[in-house]
Amino acid sequence: MSRHGRARRWSLVVALVAVLASLPAVVGALPADDADVAAADLRDAVLASDGVGFSGYAVSAGGLALPVGDQLPAVADLLSDRTALRVWWRGPAEHRVDVVSAAGETGVHVDAGGSWTWEYESATATRTAPAALTLPAPPDLVPATLGRRLLSEAADEELSRIGARRVAGRDALGLRLVPAAPAASVARVDVWADAGTGLPLAVEVVAEDASVPALDTRFLDVDLAVPPAEVVAFTPPADARVRTGQDAEGLLREAGRRLAPVPLPGELAGLPRRTLAGAPEAVGLYGSGVTLLAVAPIPARLASAIRSTLAAAPDAVRDERGTRVAAGPLGLMLVDAPGAGTYVLTGTVTLDALADAAQTLTGGPS
Amino acid sequence: MIGVELRKTFGRPRTWVTIAVLNALPVLVAVLLRLTDLAPRPGEGPPFLSAVLTNGQLYPLAALAIVLPLFLPIAVAVVSGDAVAGEAQAGTLRYLLARPAGRTRLLVAKLLAVLAFVVVTVVVVAAVGYLVGTLLFDARPVAAGTSVSGTSLTPEQLAGRTVMAIGYVAVSMLGVAAFGLFFSTLTDSPLAAALGALAVLVTSSLLFTLDAASPIAPYLPTRYWLAFVDLFRDPVLWRDVVRGLALQGVYVGVLLTAAWANFATKDVTS
Repeated sequence: MSRHGRARRWSLVVALVAVLASLPAVVGALPADDADVAAADLRDAVLASDGVGFSGYAVSAGGLALPVGDQLPAVADLLSDRTALRVWWRGPAEHRVDVVSAAGETGVHVDAGGSWTWEYESATATRTAPAALTLPAPPDLVPATLGRRLLSEAADEELSRIGARRVAGRDALGLRLVPAAPAASVARVDVWADAGTGLPLAVEVVAEDASVPALDTRFLDVDLAVPPAEVVAFTPPADARVRTGQDAEGLLREAGRRLAPVPLPGELAGLPRRTLAGAPEAVGLYGSGVTLLAVAPIPARLASAIRSTLAAAPDAVRDERGTRVAAGPLGLMLVDAPGAGTYVLTGTVTLDALADAAQTLTGGPS
Repeated sequence: MIGVELRKTFGRPRTWVTIAVLNALPVLVAVLLRLTDLAPRPGEGPPFLSAVLTNGQLYPLAALAIVLPLFLPIAVAVVSGDAVAGEAQAGTLRYLLARPAGRTRLLVAKLLAVLAFVVVTVVVVAAVGYLVGTLLFDARPVAAGTSVSGTSLTPEQLAGRTVMAIGYVAVSMLGVAAFGLFFSTLTDSPLAAALGALAVLVTSSLLFTLDAASPIAPYLPTRYWLAFVDLFRDPVLWRDVVRGLALQGVYVGVLLTAAWANFATKDVTS
């Protein structure tokens, strides 16, 4: 065979590889159509999108190493791992979110009377009553749900437009939220919403002084058609173990009963006090939007568990104002107020803001 | 020429010894499970293995999941690596090429013989898995079982999805076969060709576990191997299955073109 023919054959191979290797980059570089929509109008469209039916596949990547020890492994995993989600959304009270893993899945089916949680690995179906306040769960990471939640209290002056990009093959308009409160530990929240319906397709939360998002959740596939009711509904299989889930409302009532209300200031770290439906009265909540601070008086036993977790955290800040630790934008601090017991302070505020709040609570100069 | 290659592949005792050895591990696992009743903890071990104690009809899938990560690719790498380099080592390659059929046709015949080996091996593993599963564990003839999503699957649905899963696993092995065949045209040593294909797979499996390699993860040959589990979700999650099929197609296309470019102009001396 000639040297010429050999070169021609190999150049064909090289050309084939070059075309195939460049395809993803070419598809990724497809320009997105921007629309002349004001930031406040886009926020309103996002907040009104909870009735938009859709189904899709989303991936959430969290980088938060929560200092929760072994007490809340599910929450810690949710915010620190890569989670693949399948979503079928007919409305706020009728949807299904499956967490898909290589060898199994956990599905949450929400209906008007509560939710079913199906765990394949243990063949368990758990029925849970609706509650005003619950621990973070996989459905909270769906870009559409998270985007609406994070923008729900955003003021007009905190918002700006950041162009458009392609998300899940659709044109998505960018909206940036930069919290105005000086205490904020969230540097910015970028929400990319579907140009036609306002449905958030991707959300990135970036902490102060961070270069990569603390939480990044986005649709890889989305279909804006209302999914059939039978896909969302759930009937436990005949051989499944059926359980009743934790009564979150009862737990909150019990917490409210055990925690004696203590006088808390009307403002902490520059954030005004607020109320939240379902929260026990003894827990003080401050701030708004994505800048929130919670103060809770806690029993001595729980305090010592948190103290040892804080002591074990390698990147904890320790000084005369106390020990505090940050996981991305989330801060945690334990404060001993002389004569008033122990408080846990946590929220999306900076470590300095936590220390300021602690000094106010202990009566020192802030 | 294709018939000759097929007869050569399946006429060798070592082909059947390889298939028998491949089946030994799932059979051993099934016997141990039956004797001890100790299924892996939920979410651990190969997919479907924790479910077979209650439904033996799932054992073909568990058997494939057991051999998929290591045993099956090793067997495919050895057979495909031997395809051309084995002839060269035995000194028979130049006689084969002396026939008027041409090198491209020889390459296609070798490829089809390797494909046939992959399909036969996967089907035999699944069939032995079915026999072992239904003999050793409880089978459910009426309500066939529950999908990964917690819905009921009829026996027909379960059978259909199992056939699709067997097909998917067979296609997943084509990339390995293509690597083996390509390396087989580069060297006269079947061992070197098989080890080359295995090195690619080990590298791919390792990179897949690294967060730092996530930008290239969708292009790794082993990335979608376990996606056959998605066929048992309800509704079926086609995303990774379709990507897995397309990715294997790309690897097979590129590597066969490279094998052809190299082999068609190679100086054959042995």
